[in-house]
Formats: sequence, C-alpha cells, structure tokens
Amino acid sequence: MMNKKILNKIYFIIFFSIILILLNGCGKKLPEDRPIGVKNIVLLNQDSSKVIFPDSFKGKTLLLCFIYTNCPDICPMTTHNMQLIQEQLKKENINNVQFAEMSFDPQRDTPSILKTFGDIRNIDYSNFTFLTGKSSDIKSILNNMNILALPGDTTKTESGTPVYFFTHTDRITLIDKDGKIRNEYRGSKADIQAVVNDIKILGD
Amino acid sequence: MIFLLSVLTILNFNSPKMEIDSAWVRPAAKGMNSALYFDLRNNTSNTDTLIKVSSPVAELVQVHETLNKNGLMEMKEVKSLGVHKNQIIKFAPGGYHVMLIKLKKDLKAGAKVGFVFYFKKAGKIKVTAVVKSY
Repeated sequence: MMNKKILNKIYFIIFFSIILILLNGCGKKLPEDRPIGVKNIVLLNQDSSKVIFPDSFKGKTLLLCFIYTNCPDICPMTTHNMQLIQEQLKKENINNVQFAEMSFDPQRDTPSILKTFGDIRNIDYSNFTFLTGKSSDIKSILNNMNILALPGDTTKTESGTPVYFFTHTDRITLIDKDGKIRNEYRGSKADIQAVVNDIKILGD
Repeated sequence: MIFLLSVLTILNFNSPKMEIDSAWVRPAAKGMNSALYFDLRNNTSNTDTLIKVSSPVAELVQVHETLNKNGLMEMKEVKSLGVHKNQIIKFAPGGYHVMLIKLKKDLKAGAKVGFVFYFKKAGKIKVTAVVKSY
C-alpha cells in the first residue's frame, strides 16, 4: 500500500497543476508584440503643432487609426468607434491612453481640415489628436505598419472640383507604452469592449 | 365628379407604395463629404429601379456601395438599383449609402436635410433626413 504522505503529495501536485492550467487559460495574452518600424518622424496635429511619431507617445498606451477626411462612410465609423472607446475608458477611470487618427491623404488633409473634421464631430481633444505630415513620411509609416491606401479614379463635380476616394485598410492599432504594436482591429467594426479589455491588460 | 375624385383619392392613399424610412445623415463640414442612410421598402407589386437621388446641400449626389475586398475597403458607384416587390434594402454604414459630395454648408447634429428620390415607376419621392452626431 502506498504511504499516506506520498498520496497526499500526489493529490496536492494534481490540484496545484489544475489551478495553474485554469489560471493560464483565463489570462488572455495579446497576440502581437512587434515594433512600429519607424522613429523620429515629424508630423503635425490639428493645431499645426509638431508631434514626433511615435516618440511623443512613448510612456502612454496609444490607440492609432488611419483615415482620410473625404471618406463619407468607413472612416467616420472608425472615428466614432474611437470616440466610444475614449468615452468608455473615461467611465472606467482608465487614464494614460492617447488616441490618434493619422491621415493617409496628407495632400488634402491639412491640419485645419483635420480640425474641421474633428470639430463637427465634437471630438474631445484632451487625449485625442489628428496627425498629418509630409507625403513621404506618411508613406513610410503606412508601409511599416502594413496599411494600404490606394487613390481611385478622379471625377469632377459640376463646378469642376476634382473628387477621388481611396481603397484602404480599415484598422485601429493598439500600441503599448514602449512603442510596440500589441493588437490590431477592424476600425469600422471594432468591438468596443474587446479593445477596452485589451487596454486593461496593458495596464497603466 | 366629386364622388369620382374622392374614390380616386382614397384609392391613391390606400395603394401600396415605395417607402423610405429611418433616414439619417452623417455630420460633416462645408466642402467635405457625407452619407445618407435609410431603409428602402418596395410595397408595390412590381419591381422598381432607383435611378437618382438629389439634394440641394451637395454639389454631387451619388448612390454608392462600400465593399470589403480582402480587408481593403472600397466604394463603387451604383448607377441604378433594382428593388423587387416586397424587398427591403437597407442603406447602412459599411454598405449601400447615398454619398453627398462637396457639401455646400455644414451639416451639424440635429439639422434636417431634404432629398428627392427618383424611381423608374414610382417617380419622385421627397424625403427629409436628420443629421446624427456621428
């Protein structure tokens, strides 16, 4: 017959192993941890103030999405989702998170245009910024972050104003305070609570 | 004569129609673009075709559809849209929408915007949409 002490040890080891397995299964890990791939890029925000990307955001969790203001459908949806996430974080008193929307149409999206786009949507700029910059710099960021934005055919309005739209990636990217990409979401269809939960995992 | 007119009026009021419900517009500033969303119901006994939408608030008004092609979002103009009898087509974010290109004025939350829809059989239908906050 097996010694009672040894039997108790075996029971303890089995019990402890089950607890560890359960804890590991419940604790969600973020799927990614990769660098943005760019540094020290000078951009402008909606007030024409310089923002160094991504360096200016280090030390804070950054939620970054990519838009163009001439977009009537998808980009406003993404912007609205960013606002909903911002509101939810405020309700839950989660700070140290910055929101940024970068235009992939810098030729048309000047700082003042970005400001107009934000103002009409009552954006709370306290931790929310729009970004634009030199076309070559924006292109470098897009390439490194795997964002595609392809201009389509140009048509004209009756007054002769040229009109064109982009075929583009629909994305919100979660970046940690060390400047590493930790998760990506479909911007226009993002699950607000899922993004908030991921931000909580990153912590303050 | 009055009796005949009354009968015609009653028949007209009771005849099934093309309906446009729950119309709303995204906010956007002058010079920018917006979109109109709504539910389109064909309550008639025939297939009809939406051929045009107009509005005084934009330089150009077009029907578009947003498509997701392998993760890339793309918009295509829809020149005409067939609506079968008893069919409901939802114009909703991320799908069909009426695009308002180069707005002539700011569209702020709460404002009302007038539209005219043109159908092959049903003819003109006037619609008023409310600007939402997002």
